[in-house]
Amino acid sequence: MPAASGVLYTRFMFDPPITTRNRARVCVIGGGGTGAALAYDLSLRGFSVTLLEKGELTSGTTGRHHGQLHSGARYAVGDRAIASECMEETLILRRIAPEAIEYNGGVFVAVDDDDADYAPVFVSACLEAGIPAREVPVSEARSWEPVINPAARRTVWVPDGAFDAFRMPMSFFAAARRLGAGIRSFTEAVAVDVVAGRAAAVIARPVSTGRDERIECDYVVSATGAWAGSVGRMAGFDAPITPAPGTMVAVRGRLSDMVLSRLSPPGDGDIIVPQRGLSIIGTTQRVVDDPDCVLPDDDDVEFLLKRADELAPGFSSRGVHAVWAAARPLAGRSSGDGRSLSRDFMVLDHAAPGAVPGSAGMATLIGGKATVLRAMAEKAADHVCEALGVGEPCRTREFVLPSWRDYYAEETR
Amino acid sequence: MSGDRIPLTLRVRNGAAVAEFRIDAEPRRTVLDMLERLRSGGGTVPAYRHSCHHGSCGTCGARINGVEALMCLTSASDLGSPRARVPGGPAVEPERGEDGSVIVELEPLAKMTVISGIAVYPGTAFAGIPAGAGYLAVSEPGGRAPLPPDPTEPRPAGRVRFEACIECGSCVSSCPVAVPFIGPAALAAVNREREKRPERAPAMLALAAASDGVEPCGRHLACSRVCPQAVYPGKHIQLLRNALAEEPSASG
Ligand SMILES: Cc1cc2nc3c(=O)[nH]c(=O)nc-3n(C[C@H](O)[C@H](O)[C@H](O)COP(=O)(O)OP(=O)(O)OC[C@H]3O[C@@H](n4cnc5c(N)ncnc54)[C@H](O)[C@@H]3O)c2cc1C
Ligand code: SF4
Ligand code: FES
Repeated sequence: MPAASGVLYTRFMFDPPITTRNRARVCVIGGGGTGAALAYDLSLRGFSVTLLEKGELTSGTTGRHHGQLHSGARYAVGDRAIASECMEETLILRRIAPEAIEYNGGVFVAVDDDDADYAPVFVSACLEAGIPAREVPVSEARSWEPVINPAARRTVWVPDGAFDAFRMPMSFFAAARRLGAGIRSFTEAVAVDVVAGRAAAVIARPVSTGRDERIECDYVVSATGAWAGSVGRMAGFDAPITPAPGTMVAVRGRLSDMVLSRLSPPGDGDIIVPQRGLSIIGTTQRVVDDPDCVLPDDDDVEFLLKRADELAPGFSSRGVHAVWAAARPLAGRSSGDGRSLSRDFMVLDHAAPGAVPGSAGMATLIGGKATVLRAMAEKAADHVCEALGVGEPCRTREFVLPSWRDYYAEETR
Repeated sequence: MSGDRIPLTLRVRNGAAVAEFRIDAEPRRTVLDMLERLRSGGGTVPAYRHSCHHGSCGTCGARINGVEALMCLTSASDLGSPRARVPGGPAVEPERGEDGSVIVELEPLAKMTVISGIAVYPGTAFAGIPAGAGYLAVSEPGGRAPLPPDPTEPRPAGRVRFEACIECGSCVSSCPVAVPFIGPAALAAVNREREKRPERAPAMLALAAASDGVEPCGRHLACSRVCPQAVYPGKHIQLLRNALAEEPSASG
């Protein structure tokens, strides 16, 4: 077996100094990537954190996403600010969690005339967003990844990557717990106790005992993604959230190391992400009421395979390994397919003007995407600091995270 | 979904009890899909772990009719076809209930502490993996040109990919060794680290040479047979043994 010389390898001690411990207790509801990063950020700022997740950690949308570490190129034409943020965050994640990322770059492929016409608009939007995209001859792109359609019209290199949807957030969980956060999986938040107009406690129900526990706290953040509607209602808050599931199909065989995307405005079935020995085409989008148990649509599979063949001919002849779906937590309300909703995220204070009174001390963090988990957490933790009058700055850019393995290896049972 | 539905009786372990569900599943539906559907349909389904739904996170391992497998990659059609009843055993027709439905027993992975239902703390699978063991490996270029210069990466690492092992613990659960043993997943990681990082080879060989290293392995090979990722932990244990034999100082 060949030696892996040249593979980026980091050895480190995760031992960030917590300068000031404050006595404020924050309860985070939701153990996806967003909750993971938030539990870590708040712990680093000295808060006492308890996180509740009704199932296994990352069993909501997070563990099932497509695995694209977005450079932001996909969003550059539509929303420059989101694109820049993605670029900034991928650089941070590549530094603080290198072992959870297969970073090999990406290629946008123009397949037809419309795509080819879009290329100059795309490249200049990327550059304006700070994403160093550059057009390269198709022959050059195909020398890196010969699977790219030989009939491609134009090709553009971008700094995209692939990441492990489970191991990235688990590294944040490992860090949070190392700093003392209580991470409670298989423990559902069933109610929020509002006392004198303020969220004062969360009622938690561990599946192992079924006996309700009262988690007293000074602030509550719901990081429940597509479930933010039902959790918000526990505290009388109507969170504007649209669960929008999409299907993905994994075939056997690593067809490329680079992420391959269709050079066109974002649509369905236009990204192929490699992961270990698989290649994954995604995704689609529809809108549902209930984010529980989203199963893939059968029609989606045929459609996705056909679209994949346009980018990488022969994709569909590989054996299908798995088909699954996950629900996007789109912030906002929609009646259509949800594509008109932004991919931005927001921190909604339940006591903000216009909100139902009687639910101070709680916020809902929704929207965004897995690539920006750290930035989402930063913004929410800033909000908690402001609400509780704590002056600690965010420091999650600074430290390389411990391994996700530590999370389970250190679990003392 | 094409094809006739397959009648199944799921028997899911829940402590001393067993929760039973009778369903007709489309052939391509996985055990995980079925549990998800039952749960969202309001059924009281024993707890289970899941995350990626495509065989890459490693959380959904269970003993399915006695043999370790990932629930997200085991379909109704797999269950309706002849399958091994012990790791590496001959494929036999599925057992059926009186109503003709295929019996599917779901038990938690062995050697791990159960949280509830078939959900376990997977610590046993992780504990022996050496701290700092790299998870990235070289992705073989196979005749492709090197990746292009990258303005965002001052020190390009070359083509990378994750290790094949998804740390699911199936091998650990299947292993019949009953004395202190860091186990097949950990030893596979020890050997990969030795191969990838020569400077850590002595430390890795020392782990392999410890009394809970390769020694307790009885070459049952259940690990290699149940591994969903073709890691073949048994092969890595053999490679460690070979390396120890060549370097007597490491074992002494
Ligand atoms: C098809 C698809 C593909 C995607 N691809 C990508 C991609 O390639 N790259 C990318 O960056 N992003 C991608 N995304 C977006 C990304 O997956 C999500 O934005 C992100 O995972 C959301 O994380 P979250 O933590 O906010 O939500 P979730 O992961 O859903 O976490 C919310 C958690 O809250 C828990 N919960 C709910 N109610 C309760 C309760 N009452 N008590 C306790 N816990 C509760 C849920 O179980 C869940 O685990 C994709 C999304 C979809 C749908
Ligand atoms: S070696 Fe195979 S069976 Fe063992 S933990 Fe890794 S993937 Fe699972
Ligand atoms: S759910 Fe990830 S391996 Fe099955």
